[in-house]
Amino acid sequence: MTEIALLGRRAVREVVRMPEATIPTLFIPLFFLAVNIGQVSKTFPSSTPFLHGQGYAAFQIPVSLLFAVSTATSGLALVTEIDNGYFDKLLVAPIRRSSIIWGRLTADLVRGVMLSVLVLIAGLAFGVHVKSGVLGSVVLVLMAALWGVAYAGIGLLVALRTRNVQATNASFLVFFPLLFLTPNFVPFDRLTGLMEALARANPVSYVIEGLRSLVLQGWVLHKLAICMGVIVATGLLLTWLSVRTIERFDR
Amino acid sequence: MPAQSEMAPAAIEARGLERTFKGGVEAVRGIDLSVAAGEVFGFLGPNGAGKTTTVRMLCTLLPPTAGSAHVAGVDVLRDGAEVRRRIGVALQEIGLDPIQTGRELLELQCGLYGISGADARARAEELLELVGIADAADRRTKTYSGGMKRRLDLASALVHSPEVLFLDEPTTGLDPASRLTVWDEVRRINAGGTTIFLTTQYMEEADQLCRRLAIIDNGRIVAGGSPEELKDRMGHDVVSVGLNGADPAATQAAIGELPGLERVMVEQDALALYVEDGPASIAEIVRRLDRTGVSVGSISVARPTLDDVFLQATGRRLEGDEEPAAAA
Repeated sequence: MTEIALLGRRAVREVVRMPEATIPTLFIPLFFLAVNIGQVSKTFPSSTPFLHGQGYAAFQIPVSLLFAVSTATSGLALVTEIDNGYFDKLLVAPIRRSSIIWGRLTADLVRGVMLSVLVLIAGLAFGVHVKSGVLGSVVLVLMAALWGVAYAGIGLLVALRTRNVQATNASFLVFFPLLFLTPNFVPFDRLTGLMEALARANPVSYVIEGLRSLVLQGWVLHKLAICMGVIVATGLLLTWLSVRTIERFDR
Repeated sequence: MPAQSEMAPAAIEARGLERTFKGGVEAVRGIDLSVAAGEVFGFLGPNGAGKTTTVRMLCTLLPPTAGSAHVAGVDVLRDGAEVRRRIGVALQEIGLDPIQTGRELLELQCGLYGISGADARARAEELLELVGIADAADRRTKTYSGGMKRRLDLASALVHSPEVLFLDEPTTGLDPASRLTVWDEVRRINAGGTTIFLTTQYMEEADQLCRRLAIIDNGRIVAGGSPEELKDRMGHDVVSVGLNGADPAATQAAIGELPGLERVMVEQDALALYVEDGPASIAEIVRRLDRTGVSVGSISVARPTLDDVFLQATGRRLEGDEEPAAAA
């Protein structure tokens, strides 16, 4: 645990000292939030049943949260270290290689909380009211941040397998189909047949549904349980793959 | 390789070490090494000879394709974790985190080797003083000069007082003053009992620092011994005849069999004559060339260098060699 704590603290220090690596990731989710609200608020007024009496911003805010935290930032930091030689320094230290991954994920958790809080604040400025209250807001932020931790495994995997900055950066694009083949604009039952089938098969849909329930409906436990289940399963799978890859790095 | 010196136990022992990369590139082709505890051992060779691949195998960063190796008495294949606890490594590519300060980096490194709290802070301070960067300790490493980065990298390899220290081309890219500082550090670390395995492409560096060395070329060790032994094997003096366009065969024929001539090496636009008495041979060479009407560019005499050893072993001069500008 000590080595994970040490490497985690270092990675968090990196987040704090390099705001230029984190702040730009806010631009896209906030841009989409503003544009989507501007374009469809009249189409979906607060009287629309699936909005539960709130504005369209409340329906969109979970999507913005996922957009903000689903990044390849950790993967980029890792591939940069592979490139500049510091990674070798860590590999030759008497530590478990997995601690390098866990250290990076620690930074993802901190970064995810920071970004989620900022996106939520922006949502509040757009009139969003979190139905589940202050505790629900905390859970919303934590679940979004945990999704960011789970998703970070993609960037870490690509970094370890390709050792290439451009490829790692491009891994961020994986999230576009994952995010848009979901009930991100309207609920499942408003999607066309094929889109609904794809959305129902996409695990990210259930993360959005869970987060959205906290904002629009309050404490809907079965949705939260499924959401958490998807986050944990994704996290375990991608982290396991990342750990397996780093254990076999150059071996 | 010559037998391990005296009776000291081997700090590094490799037998038939090989590494073939994907695509069939044979970087290291079955090398044997024996480095005694407490010595500075040099691994001299040009770029691409297999030096770094060897170091990476000995440091457990890369598994050998064949062969075996023990470092500090521990099998690198069977117990890599124990090997890593006993060694310090400063690779050719300086491995520093640019976001951290020098002090933070050393304290983290201490932590990774199980030194924590006040002990880590004290050890970091001690090392910062030792390598002369205490004044810059709280600056981020990305602001350091090349020499400062190299010294910090060296310090980070020393936090746990390793038994064996691997230095992979520690002075490549450094200015002469920084090179001398690193040389001093190497001597000081070795004086404390640490075995040092140093790769270099600089002959003078190997000459100055290493008690014994091996010359590697194209993945194979082609010569080994102490620098003096290696040079003595070449003969007493080397007379270099700059051809300046003259025909090498004709020039060699004109010089003929000199008294005390041990061997002749033909280089690009030069002949290297290894002789017992250089000054006496020069006079004779000039007489013979004059008599046969062969005109050459220059004639000089010197003691054989490691480059002559390399030339004799491989048939060419050490590529990419840039002699350090100053000697210690």
